[in-house]
Amino acid sequence: MGDLHAGSPVPAFEKDPLELGVEDVYDISYVIGKDLLKINSGGQEVSELQFKIVRVLEMFEIMVSKYNLSLEELRMERDNLKGELDRVVAGSHETGNNIIGPDKLVIDMKDPNRPRFTMQELKEVLQERNQLKAQLLVAQEELQLYKSGVLPKPEPNMVEVNLGTPSSLDPQLSVPTKENKELHKEERTTIQKLFSFRRK
Amino acid sequence: MAKKTYDLLFKLLLIGDSGVGKTCVLFRFSDDAFNTTFISTIGIDFKIKTVELQGKKIKLQIWDTAGQERFHTITTSYYRGAMGIMLVYDISNAKSFENISKWLRNIDEHANEDVERMLLGNKCDMEDKRVVPKAKGEQIAREHGIRFFETSAKANINIEKAFLTLAEDILRKTPVKEPNSENVDISSGGGVTGWKTKCCS
Repeated sequence: MGDLHAGSPVPAFEKDPLELGVEDVYDISYVIGKDLLKINSGGQEVSELQFKIVRVLEMFEIMVSKYNLSLEELRMERDNLKGELDRVVAGSHETGNNIIGPDKLVIDMKDPNRPRFTMQELKEVLQERNQLKAQLLVAQEELQLYKSGVLPKPEPNMVEVNLGTPSSLDPQLSVPTKENKELHKEERTTIQKLFSFRRK
Repeated sequence: MAKKTYDLLFKLLLIGDSGVGKTCVLFRFSDDAFNTTFISTIGIDFKIKTVELQGKKIKLQIWDTAGQERFHTITTSYYRGAMGIMLVYDISNAKSFENISKWLRNIDEHANEDVERMLLGNKCDMEDKRVVPKAKGEQIAREHGIRFFETSAKANINIEKAFLTLAEDILRKTPVKEPNSENVDISSGGGVTGWKTKCCS
C-alpha cells in the first residue's frame, strides 16, 4: 500500500467520490494518519480530534464498501437478466413462433415463411382453384366427345361469319338494317349449331 | 341434340383426422394409384369419377377435406352439399379412432340430415401396427347405424367397394326421375358460391 503513495500525491484524493473503493479509503486514512502524526504534540485536544477523524474515516469506509457492494449486486442482476432475455429471444427464434398468452401468437416478421394470409383469402383462392378445376374437367370431357365424334364438328365457314362481321357481335346495340337482320339470323343459327349439343 | 355424359351427380365428402389417408383413399379410387409421400391437403380439394350403377352413369364428385383443425371453418362449409360422407380413421392410430365421435358430431352439426354416412378403417395392410381391432370399428359403426369397411389405399383393399356401396345407398333413396339438365353443378356446400355451366343459347 505504501509504495503507491511514495513521493506522489495520493490519487484517491482526486477521484470521483462515487468511484472510491475501500482501498482508496485506506489510502486516505494512511495520508491523514501520517499528517496527524506530524502535528501531534501529545496534547489532549489533538488526540481527541485524532479519535474523531478515525471514527469518521471508519464511517466513510463502511459507506464506500456498502455502496460498492450494492453496485456490484445491481450489475450482477442486470447481467443475469440480460442473459435470460438473450436465451428467451434465441428460443423464440428456434420455435419460429412465440406464444404469448393463451390466444396470442408472435410472428417473426423476418421469417419468409410466416403466416400472412387470412382464412377468408385462403377460402376464396381454394374456391377459385376448384371452380377452374371443374371447368377444366368439363372442357376436357367435351373435347373428348368431339374427338370421339359423338358431337358434330362445327363447319369452318360458320366461324368466318363471326370474324367477318365484328359490328354485329352485339346485336342489341347495332341498327337493325335489313342487311344486319340477315347477318343476325345467320349468326344466331351459327351459334345454335356451335352449341347445339348443349341444348335439350 | 343433347348429349349427356352422365345421368346423376352425387357429391361425396371425405373427413377424418389428419394423416389417416383420406387423400390416398380418393387417389386410389379416382386414379388407381398410390403415393407414399405425405402431403397435407390444404383446405379442400376434389376429384371426379364416373361410375355405372344399375344402368345409370353416375358422376361422383368427391370432396377431399384437410383433417387439420386449422382448416375446420373451410371444410365444414362443404358438409352441407354432400349427399354421402366417408369418415376415415387409421387402424394404426388410436387417436384417430377416438376422434370418430367428434367427426360424427361435426356431421350432425353441419351436414344435411339425410346424408349417407360410412366409416372406413384405413391402412388395414399394416397389420403389425394395428391398435384398433376390427371389431371395435364394427361396433361403433353398428351403434351409429352406418356401414363399415376396413380399407387399404396402398394395397387396394375395399376402396372401390366402399365408394360403390356408398353411391348405391344414395342411389337407392334418390327419387327416380329423368335428369332434365346436363349442367355440371360443381357448386360446393352451403353458403359457398358455386357456378354452373349454363347453356349458351
